Amino acid sequence: MNALEVKNLVKYFDKVKAVDDVSFDVPEGSIFGLIGRNGAGKTTTIRMMMNIYSPDKGEVLLRGDKVDNSFRNKVGYLPEERGLYKKMKVLDTLMFFAEIKNKTGKDIERKAKKYLEQFDLKDRMQSKIEDLSKGNQQKIQFIATILHDPEFIILDEPFSGLDPINTNLLKEIILEKKKEGKVIIFSTHLMDFAEKMCDHVAMIDKGKIILDGSLSQAKAKFAQKNVSLNYEGDVSFLKSLPFIETVSDFGNTTQIKLKDASYSQDLLKALVEKNVTVKQFNANDISLHEIFVQLAGKVDGEILTAEVSNV
Amino acid sequence: MSNKILAVIKRELKERVMSKAFIIMTILIPVFMFGLIGIQAFLYSFDGSDKTTIEIVSEADDLTQRLENEIQDSDLTKDENFNFIYRTQTKSAFEDYIKTEGKADILDEKIHGIFFIPSSALTDKKIEYYSKTPKNFSITNKVKWPINKILVDEYFINKQLSEEDLAFARSGVDFTGFKVSKDSEIEEEGYGNLILSYAFSFLLYISLLMMGSLTMQSVIEEKQNRIVEVLLSSLNAKELMTGKILGTAITGLLQMAIWLSPIIFLVSTTVFVLPPEFVLSITFTQILYLLANFFIGLILFVGLFATIGSIFENAQDAQSGVWPVMMLIIIPFFISLAFIRNPTNPIGEIGSFVPFASIIIMPVKMTIVDTSFWQPILALILNVAAIFLIFPLAGKVYRIGILRTGKKPSWGEVVKWIRFSN
Repeated sequence: MNALEVKNLVKYFDKVKAVDDVSFDVPEGSIFGLIGRNGAGKTTTIRMMMNIYSPDKGEVLLRGDKVDNSFRNKVGYLPEERGLYKKMKVLDTLMFFAEIKNKTGKDIERKAKKYLEQFDLKDRMQSKIEDLSKGNQQKIQFIATILHDPEFIILDEPFSGLDPINTNLLKEIILEKKKEGKVIIFSTHLMDFAEKMCDHVAMIDKGKIILDGSLSQAKAKFAQKNVSLNYEGDVSFLKSLPFIETVSDFGNTTQIKLKDASYSQDLLKALVEKNVTVKQFNANDISLHEIFVQLAGKVDGEILTAEVSNV
Repeated sequence: MSNKILAVIKRELKERVMSKAFIIMTILIPVFMFGLIGIQAFLYSFDGSDKTTIEIVSEADDLTQRLENEIQDSDLTKDENFNFIYRTQTKSAFEDYIKTEGKADILDEKIHGIFFIPSSALTDKKIEYYSKTPKNFSITNKVKWPINKILVDEYFINKQLSEEDLAFARSGVDFTGFKVSKDSEIEEEGYGNLILSYAFSFLLYISLLMMGSLTMQSVIEEKQNRIVEVLLSSLNAKELMTGKILGTAITGLLQMAIWLSPIIFLVSTTVFVLPPEFVLSITFTQILYLLANFFIGLILFVGLFATIGSIFENAQDAQSGVWPVMMLIIIPFFISLAFIRNPTNPIGEIGSFVPFASIIIMPVKMTIVDTSFWQPILALILNVAAIFLIFPLAGKVYRIGILRTGKKPSWGEVVKWIRFSN
């Protein structure tokens, strides 16, 4: 069963087609990753899903019905660029964000206080937002995102600008909400994260969907004939071997595509014969990053990998 | 109205009314306004910090003596800033004097002005005034009264007139204004309503500009901080804009009601009796109209300011884009001032019905001239119509502008937003 179905969304900005016929399904209870480079159209797609932008074409279905304004009450949204009212007090801020989701009253206040306690912010309840550290402001924003107990949690580049503590905190929140059966949708350009957390993905490049489906299926499909290798020594001879189609170097690992899956043992034999120290040899394995490169072509690798190292 | 709009209104009110700025401005603006009037009065009366030395020269000894007595008795010498020197000199001697010594003294500012009263003045009242700044009326206006009195006395002294006749001849014309209106008796009009009309135009002007800029700033803040994205994931742009405008308008109305409360109090009780020249001929209904008109005006202008704020990403850019809206407040303010001076001014008459302009001009007009009841009502209806006409467009600009970042958009692009948004 699909919780959300995105159908043929198109959005123009002036004459630029920012989102070009984007369709994908978000299954019930899944962690869904919308993956792509900066500027690929992720945020625009997310905004159309929440009705912040109205699409030029296409529609979004919520369990079969077209989404309307009431969908907004079911969503908790954490945008990429986060902001709060600086002069507002912490508890007032949380209560306000719940109120515009139509949630008011003592229960919500109790819950807000519980979250504040859980995040070590109980004593800051009456502080102004501007007096909080950046990390604590981010925590307040997390609470504001989930306080009204949304069925859908949409996170746009959730890990950008987070310190390691908050990164872990957010991961915990995501996993906890998954356990509660909520649907979590996040957009990211960080492939490693998507790979670790998502069970469904849609890859978007230049406004178009280039891959969509369950992560395990996608990997199974792309991993055939693929060997990921970690080694010490000289492997330049590989390119001349007749059963090898391509060799691509990703720094930490080298991806080798064979002409047929059955050649993997021949490859291993060749490596041992040439005195290459094999540290890791994974036949029929591929990372999300590699899939993306295969589909979207050579990318500015630093965007995709550099930030991964610090998270 | 949805709960979400209410939530936004509540937040705006809490942020604005509970702020120190609100309390300070509520107190400061009337102080500033009366201060400004006071400063103006002070500046007019201010003749210079140094002692002003005035020389009075006449051709006859007894005339000089009389002038001296008269001026000594007048208020002029009680003012310590004036110092008078009296001399008698014939016309030809004076002509020599003014070319030499007199000129030097004036240029050195030992003497600020010399009045020469030739004997011929006894018949034609023509006197000469020599000064570096002969058009400085603060001196001539004061000295002219005692001189005139003496000349009149001299002229009539041999004509066997009674004291009464003389007093009559000396006095100028004294105007008493009577207000002619349809419904009430003809009655003497004081300065009360004149002061009120100045106060209204000033308060409306300041308050519209202030509330407008505050809203613009707050929209820009939401855009800059990207709070708006979270807000729009919870409510739509129309709800957000409506909440913000109403929140600010209610704040402004509250402030105006505080400012007008002394007037409401004076009008509705008879405990305090104002001196007749300051009686306020304004009714409770008029004050209610004033508040209603102001509320509509706030909605109209605050909406425009919010729209401008949504187009730009920082305060500096917005400042350059907001001037057309500011002009819609500033020009009517000046028209209303002109109208107070001359209530038959046709521009003021027309302006009191033009949407936007009428918000400032109509209350002022109502205070100083009689208006039939349909006039303010019509102005109000036209302004409400303007809201319904402009706000759908403003809403489109707001909805698109608020999420736009990057390059500062041109007016052409803004027009495109209106035309092509769905």
